[in-house]
Amino acid sequence: MSSIDPSKLKRDLIDECWYVALEEHIIDLAWSPSSGHLAAATVEGRVVLIENRGHSAFYQQVGQHGLGANSVSWRSDGSRFASAGQDGVVQFFDGSSGEQMQSIQVSKGWVSKVAFSPRRPVLAVAAGKRLKFLNEVGEVFYESSDHASTIADIAWNPSGTAVAVAAYNGVTVHRPGSAEEPREYSWKGSSLVLAWSPDEKYIATGEQDSTVHFWLVQSGEHAQMRGFPTKVLQLAWNSSGAKLATGGGSGVILWDCSGEGPMGRQPDILQAHINKITTLAYQPNGSYLISTDADGLLCVWEPEMHSHLLGGKSLSAPASCLRWTAQGDRLAVGQNDGVVVLFTAPK
Amino acid sequence: MPTASGKVPVTVLTGFLGSGKTTLLNRILSENHGKRIAVIENEFGEIGVDNELVIGAEEEIFEMNNGCICCNVRGDLIRILGSLMKRREKFDYILIETTGLADPGPVAQTFFRDDDLQEAFELDGIVTLVDAKHVVEHIDDSHEVKEQIAFADIILLNKTDLVQPSDITQLESRIRSMNALAKIYQTQNAQIPIDQVLQLRAFDLYRALDLEPNFLGHKQPFAWSGKFDLEAGDYTLSFKPGPSFDLSLTVLPASRMGSLLETARNVFATEARAVKPGQLLSTDGQLYKLLLLGKEIKYQFTNQSPGLYTLFCNRDPSGFAAQLVSASGRIIEPVSSCQYNLDHQHHDHEHDDQITSVGIAHDGELNLEKFQVWLNELLAEKGQDIFRMKGVLNFQGSSDRYVFQGVHMLFDGRPDRPWGTEPRKNALVFIGRNLDRQELNAGFQSCLA
Repeated sequence: MSSIDPSKLKRDLIDECWYVALEEHIIDLAWSPSSGHLAAATVEGRVVLIENRGHSAFYQQVGQHGLGANSVSWRSDGSRFASAGQDGVVQFFDGSSGEQMQSIQVSKGWVSKVAFSPRRPVLAVAAGKRLKFLNEVGEVFYESSDHASTIADIAWNPSGTAVAVAAYNGVTVHRPGSAEEPREYSWKGSSLVLAWSPDEKYIATGEQDSTVHFWLVQSGEHAQMRGFPTKVLQLAWNSSGAKLATGGGSGVILWDCSGEGPMGRQPDILQAHINKITTLAYQPNGSYLISTDADGLLCVWEPEMHSHLLGGKSLSAPASCLRWTAQGDRLAVGQNDGVVVLFTAPK
Repeated sequence: MPTASGKVPVTVLTGFLGSGKTTLLNRILSENHGKRIAVIENEFGEIGVDNELVIGAEEEIFEMNNGCICCNVRGDLIRILGSLMKRREKFDYILIETTGLADPGPVAQTFFRDDDLQEAFELDGIVTLVDAKHVVEHIDDSHEVKEQIAFADIILLNKTDLVQPSDITQLESRIRSMNALAKIYQTQNAQIPIDQVLQLRAFDLYRALDLEPNFLGHKQPFAWSGKFDLEAGDYTLSFKPGPSFDLSLTVLPASRMGSLLETARNVFATEARAVKPGQLLSTDGQLYKLLLLGKEIKYQFTNQSPGLYTLFCNRDPSGFAAQLVSASGRIIEPVSSCQYNLDHQHHDHEHDDQITSVGIAHDGELNLEKFQVWLNELLAEKGQDIFRMKGVLNFQGSSDRYVFQGVHMLFDGRPDRPWGTEPRKNALVFIGRNLDRQELNAGFQSCLA
């Protein structure tokens, strides 16, 4: 096992643009499509709009969720963003002023996630055990039946035609506006996070029982990957869909999903972290992979070019959330201590 | 307050609807204890006290795909506690109020099976409330009630003001037979000093052996034994009606007292054969339940080989004017007799409670390898039926006590402090369903060095 001496890290690979201290654990971040704004949600309930001014930032609290916020999401046209939390409320905010426009009680309890379609003004809401779709004026136009548990994660496919839901007993895919029954990808497990491959060929899930599951979306074939030291909460596809990086321990596991797929192939392992990995994010339209760990170390990789670590940073606290801008030129890092820091992409 | 390890303690309140869980919860919250308490409520009761954080949640049991109940965890708790541990303002204490029908197993296992929760929280104890008046209506056919009792560290026998004292005694002994480890308190209106239900550290290994010492070794399933020197021949045991209709006994050939007690304990764990007056008894270790019918009650037995025999009885036979008479009419007095502190779990064999506690106490030294093999096999085979276990062990060649505890198949054990001047001994307790006392004893004995 290779361990890294942080003092010898190549640190100038990425540069800090600005940081803000929100003082509460950052549970989610979402960029506006233009990267002019970053919405932040804290575990104690605050919704904050951060204006990205390049080398500085201005922020204001725009909303609050009782018991705690869970998720923020930006509409594809940039005009609005939405937040949700443990209070069962979805709030809508103006994308430039941050003014709250609407507040809707969608569930009795926990809303784990809100996600705007990447193409249309449709909001998918994980409302307790049910998936709901809200239209432009905030009306529910689709409501699923109960999933086997409170929904843990949802994600739109990249073309914006379907939403995959992770809960107990595997994955369910719902298509808004379609008469089709939701398609079930059944597995007796507890799926915690999911991610579509950019080519929509695969849905990968991270599981409570320390495994990763690959689903072939078309055929429904699937494979379980074992051997992780702990539950898997980090999944990151590269922009081509050829690689999936997973956490669930101290090593970054890289699955080769090109051609025949990951089944029966040995994954690569990127080793630099000593403590558990907390976040992973591949650069959109680029080749860099960022990983962070529970010791507050941020590592920069370019796995297709080099198997060794390129460089990194020591953060003031472990990262809880990584968000690249859509252009892939900036990386926002949300931390356990409430700091949100912006870095340039590696040079 | 967070424990020395920095982990936040969690207390689980279980009990049937109406047993007083919410009353106790409100009592804890309203006491001026200076703690910041977060409450997770699976039962939507009325919390009458302003508290910083009360989170309602439906219980969501996650069964792993191998179907092993020991792996079942509670996803709702992982989710909610996962969020709580990220807060800047940490809580000092977490209380979880389960539904009346909740299985405590997955709740407890969640704290050992989820890495994140294990790092941040420490299961402090399981407190079960029992409605002393109404529990008798469902204890026989409710798995949930039995399991909540079996898993408990503390049992509050609540609403005792609504029940006759004799009924409470009977109920308490029945509960004691199911869970020999729990502390049982009789309460009204769930009134109990808070420090007797919180900060118990019941799952802390170093506290594992704060056992009720009288469970181990001192109490016996019989109240009296008498040693008789018998010739070969026919004998009559006669009784008169006494203080109870419940009289069980066995006659064993007496060789050494030490192993005889063990044998007798095992006999008392077996099914008693009911015998009517006039029937023949044997001296081979059969447990009899005497049907005390009529005014002059007589049982016969024939002794084949002369020697010492010991009669073990669940009550003092003098209360029944018992006499042992030879064929020639001579009254045989015991050579010696002994009174025991009756272990109530054997008090009443009419209850065939599936859930029992089995305690093993032994002075001998254990062979580590043999013990590991035995316990591994036991947990692999019976882990689903063993709810809780705790113990201290005396391993050959080790100067330290070895302590362990477990929930189903989850086992945690390690060397503790040196024995020092303390007498070395083994003391173990298993709480579970359909436990075979004899088999457990035999298995344990096979591990002696």
